[in-house]
Amino acid sequence: MIEVHRVSKVYSVGPVKVPALREVSFRIAKGEFVVLTGASGAGKTTLLRLLYRDDLPSEGDIEVLGYDLVPMRRSQVAALRRSIGVVFQDAKLLPVRTVYENVAFVLRVLGAPRREITERVFDALRIVGMSSRAQAYPAQLSQGEAQRAALARAIVRRPPLLLADEPTGNLDESMAAEILEALKDIGSGGTTIVLATHQARLAAALKRRTVTLDAGHVVKDEG
Amino acid sequence: MVGFLVGEALRDLRRAGRVAVSAIVLITLSLAALGGFWLVSSNLDRAVARWRDRVRIVVYLKREPSSSDVAALVERVRATPGVAAVTFVGKAEALRGLKQVLGKDAGVVDQLPANPLPASLEVTPAAAAATPEGARELVARLAALPEADEVAGSVDWVEHLSHWQRLLTTIGLGVGAVLGFAAILTVTTATTLVLHARRHETEIMRLVGASEVTIRLPLLLQGMMQGLVGAVLALATLVLTYSLVAPRLEPLVNLTLGLSQLVFFTPLGVITLLGAGTLLGGLGGWLARAGREP
Repeated sequence: MIEVHRVSKVYSVGPVKVPALREVSFRIAKGEFVVLTGASGAGKTTLLRLLYRDDLPSEGDIEVLGYDLVPMRRSQVAALRRSIGVVFQDAKLLPVRTVYENVAFVLRVLGAPRREITERVFDALRIVGMSSRAQAYPAQLSQGEAQRAALARAIVRRPPLLLADEPTGNLDESMAAEILEALKDIGSGGTTIVLATHQARLAAALKRRTVTLDAGHVVKDEG
Repeated sequence: MVGFLVGEALRDLRRAGRVAVSAIVLITLSLAALGGFWLVSSNLDRAVARWRDRVRIVVYLKREPSSSDVAALVERVRATPGVAAVTFVGKAEALRGLKQVLGKDAGVVDQLPANPLPASLEVTPAAAAATPEGARELVARLAALPEADEVAGSVDWVEHLSHWQRLLTTIGLGVGAVLGFAAILTVTTATTLVLHARRHETEIMRLVGASEVTIRLPLLLQGMMQGLVGAVLALATLVLTYSLVAPRLEPLVNLTLGLSQLVFFTPLGVITLLGAGTLLGGLGGWLARAGREP
């Protein structure tokens, strides 16, 4: 499903080279739920961005869902992303659209038929427990609800791979627990999940395979 | 999908607000100017074509040929390069023509001791010779005829009219181009504002794997919509102006240019104007580029 082979990423800040990832290698099998943890700045977000081809590695190879990410053409990037759901720390909901419209937006962009859109959107909202808030605008939602709406948007296409970048970073414990429960439910359906979090206690509580990054290195891969 | 793209384009247009209105106004102005000059130019073009058809070169003959020689002379002149048609006008016929022109004063002619008018050949130049150079060459050739006493006629004044028509076309194109360029820049500005306002949508679209065409088509469409609205307004302005001005101008135009009526655009012209507006707007929309990915 995912194969990261000796991947390094160096950012150039003027004349200064800042390494974000160094010789990172790991594999994730289909259906796995992997927690990517480490302190802020350890390289978690960089790694996730490389996985959905938002950026390119400076060195190394990445294969995701059978796509070799480095020599990809733009059209292939679009095809790859149609198979990946992504959730961020900030929910990135469109403020002038309701929860329903936010989730439906993804399907409309991809040209899904209207009847299928309604069915799939309510299906996704049901999975994250947001059916009753379908007509609410983002400003009317709590942070936990906004994050669940973002989760619904990520899974509405039923992608085989879900990448979650600090989805609980802005949430209190009970709200974070709700999100994690939702993620577990999604994972139990066969979706491969990569969850990046700096919250070590939360990572431990999940009792899943955990890949720990420190200053761009993989320092631990256990579980 | 089409409904979605059009819906997004309309949403973008609302977002662009006053800048979109400015762009529409500029497109209206540029197309109204362009269309106005085009209308004047095409009517002048009609006048030029009409007068070119009427250009005649008259070869006055030293003496009237006998009726048996007329056919041979006409045939010989008709074979001259640049001649389309030849009509012989005898002395008597010329006198009758003069009487007609003089009307109630035709009696003066009867006081003349003899018919002073020469016989002549009215030569219609071929299309290739209906230019100043062509006409001058033809006049020289006709003057070389042994029977010719004098040759009169040129197409110079028609060419002057033609120059004016070309000048107007050039001015129209120039003014239209400047305003059109400004319109494209304004649509580009409006679209850039839209791009900023819809950056979250664009980010989500890219994230979920929308094609570049799906991302950029609403931008193109909203530009085209601005252009089309501008073109329709320009057309309405021209229709209104034409309906107000044409009836007042037609008597004067008839007197000076010989055109009984001023014509408006043909359906093809209307389509061209609407198409030009849509193209202007679309170009502005397309030129505003979204950020590219690695």
